[in-house]
Amino acid sequence: MSAHEISAADSHGHCLAANNLACQRGERWLFEGLNLTVSSGTCLHVIGANGSGKTSLLRMLCGISRIDRGDITWQQKNIAGNDDYFSGLAYLGHKDGLKNEFTAAENLEFYQRLNFENDPAKVDEILAEMGILACADLPTFQLSFGQRRRLALARLLLVPRPLWVLDEPFTGIDQAGRNLIERLCVEHLAAGGILILTNHQSLRSGPLKPFLNELEL
Amino acid sequence: MTNTFMLYAMREWQLLFRNSSTLAQPLCFFVIIALLFPLSLPAENALLQRIGGGVIWVSAVLATLLSLESMFKPDYHDGALEQWLIQPRSLTLAVVAKVFSQWSATGLILTLFAPVLCLTFRIPVEQIWVLFVGLLLGTPSLTLIGAIGAALTVTLHRGGVLLAIIILPLYIPILIFGAGMVTQSAQGADITGQIYALAAILTLALTLAPFAIVGALRATID
Repeated sequence: MSAHEISAADSHGHCLAANNLACQRGERWLFEGLNLTVSSGTCLHVIGANGSGKTSLLRMLCGISRIDRGDITWQQKNIAGNDDYFSGLAYLGHKDGLKNEFTAAENLEFYQRLNFENDPAKVDEILAEMGILACADLPTFQLSFGQRRRLALARLLLVPRPLWVLDEPFTGIDQAGRNLIERLCVEHLAAGGILILTNHQSLRSGPLKPFLNELEL
Repeated sequence: MTNTFMLYAMREWQLLFRNSSTLAQPLCFFVIIALLFPLSLPAENALLQRIGGGVIWVSAVLATLLSLESMFKPDYHDGALEQWLIQPRSLTLAVVAKVFSQWSATGLILTLFAPVLCLTFRIPVEQIWVLFVGLLLGTPSLTLIGAIGAALTVTLHRGGVLLAIIILPLYIPILIFGAGMVTQSAQGADITGQIYALAAILTLALTLAPFAIVGALRATID
């Protein structure tokens, strides 16, 4: 990356854009001609009824699902095969990506090593921050649903990533956990991060309000 | 690059040892299938000796096939695969590490155990060596090619039969060269050709299959 590009990225922050995006399920088009731009320090809340394509949109934005029409760009560059994009992306979907055979700490350590780091002390710190340090050495299959969600969300804190994509992050989480996640999201946004999430309740009254943009599918 | 490979391979081995049933099942299946033949055929040493190599090869193919269904399924169902898709790490290397550890838990163990089975078929020592070398060259190709089918059927609820229908025809050349090697050497013929053929298939599979597996995973995971 040249010096010029770095300064351009610094002054404008990060930017994720989708142009003329469409999603097809079977014969039916879930959405067509969707345009969106999300830039640093904003939270995009994707709203829609069940089956309206919220999860499909999020998975397309993450480069997991095939894009039926249109394109998605990160800093004006297509996301397909774009390592710069994937080093900046954290995604939490309905499936948590945790192995039952591993302990909570081992699960997190694997993702930490995938992120080119190896620091068990930091893993303990993150587990403590998520309130599940007591479960660190328990096999993941013994964790409750809420504890598993917290462990999956703990991945977001491993390395700073500018883009968080969270599919219903508050499912199965108690009120204290919800407050915790909202606080982490606010910190992330205040530091210039981008947050894209789906949630069935409105976020207009919560702490995310100052950053909030809504997209209705 | 080696770092990515080792990271994924170590994870796979840890998982294999925590799930000891995945380690034991293919081997037990292999031994049982192979032992059904001496029990059901006329007790003639000459006959068992003639068919032994072929029987062990077919058992190895079936045991490999059995292990394929659980190759990507658990990682698909718990969401680990979709996390792999979005890591800034090479998915191809991850897949190669996965296939390698899968082979070391099935093909390699079967190969090491095959000489013991040869004794029940009264196969002479020279041909035990031939069978051993054949399996060592052939079983990695079986796992590599099979992984393409496993990746294609990962999202299917009951993909086992479909997997067998897709993959078994592709195993025919390996089976012909591998089992043919044992027969030929029993007749005193030269087997260099078969060894080269198996090595060539392995080279092709090793260079092309990982890309096919990655393509299949990206296409099926939606």
